[in-house]
Amino acid sequence: MTSRARNILLAAIAAVLALALGVVVASFSLKPPDATALLALSLPDIQGAAQPMRQWRGKVLVVNFWATWCEPCREEMPEFVRAQREFGGRGVQFVGIAVDKPDKVAQFAKELDLNYPALIGGYEAVDLSKALGNRLAALPFTVILDRESHVAHTQLGPLKPAQLRSILANLL
Amino acid sequence: MAEARWRRLVAGSALAFALVAASAWAMAQVNPLPPDKAFRFSARLIDAQTVEARFRIAEGYYLYRDKIHFAIEPAAGGLAVPRLPDGKVKDDPFFGHVETYRGDVVVNLGLKDAKPGQLIVIAAESQGCADIGICYPPTVQRATVALPEGSVVPAAPTRNATSSWFD
Repeated sequence: MTSRARNILLAAIAAVLALALGVVVASFSLKPPDATALLALSLPDIQGAAQPMRQWRGKVLVVNFWATWCEPCREEMPEFVRAQREFGGRGVQFVGIAVDKPDKVAQFAKELDLNYPALIGGYEAVDLSKALGNRLAALPFTVILDRESHVAHTQLGPLKPAQLRSILANLL
Repeated sequence: MAEARWRRLVAGSALAFALVAASAWAMAQVNPLPPDKAFRFSARLIDAQTVEARFRIAEGYYLYRDKIHFAIEPAAGGLAVPRLPDGKVKDDPFFGHVETYRGDVVVNLGLKDAKPGQLIVIAAESQGCADIGICYPPTVQRATVALPEGSVVPAAPTRNATSSWFD
């Protein structure tokens, strides 16, 4: 191999390594989202009663943005019902924020025997999920806060049951 | 000696490539397309009274048939929206009969009282999901169509503008 060819190859390898490093650094250096705005929020529940988020401070809080028109959202919710039953006594609180109409939410909550609050959120809630890292305002989007209200995990798309359990176990 | 170094270089670059590929794959998992790229909307004039509206749905994404709505701006013009093509039928446990689209969806919209030389905007609302298990809220995309002067219809150029509350 000529030295010129070798130099080109070395430069190419350096470029690829630099790119790889950049991608890795970018994926780790994103600022963790802040839950202050989330905890300052107060949203109506299905009955129309205002539910301030701060009432759940000190708990491991799982906030799930969802809608009835979102099938993957509906599919993961039975697992949340199970986890609420299982971990509720140990300080875990699930809260659903539905980007949806109250009557649809009430109907689905009844069908599912939902055992945690279903709040109705509008654009305000969508903006909030964007601020927490859900750039496309897509659903489901789940934020898990530790007992000190720090964001421990955010998830766009369904949470796998094993993943949910392992995150909760780490925070309890 | 030179050969060993060459081999190390090849192995090293293969490793780096794999790292980049794996990172790109991992990022793709959490970086789905924005809805205006996943469900790309366009519109073009096919005759003086008809606009062909089209959604190009990216692979791995789908739209709900009953969530597609068209409107014309300014609204005074009026738009005749035909029955949308049949979608793939699915029995949803909560909503019952739902139909979804993949690939391309084409709908011919009838223009009422279209004035020659006028610029009209077709606003298309849609809502869909991605197979990776996420859904987008309803989003509106717009396409501008220029109506020809007089009665002659040229091959119409379109200028697409998209906007939604995701921006």
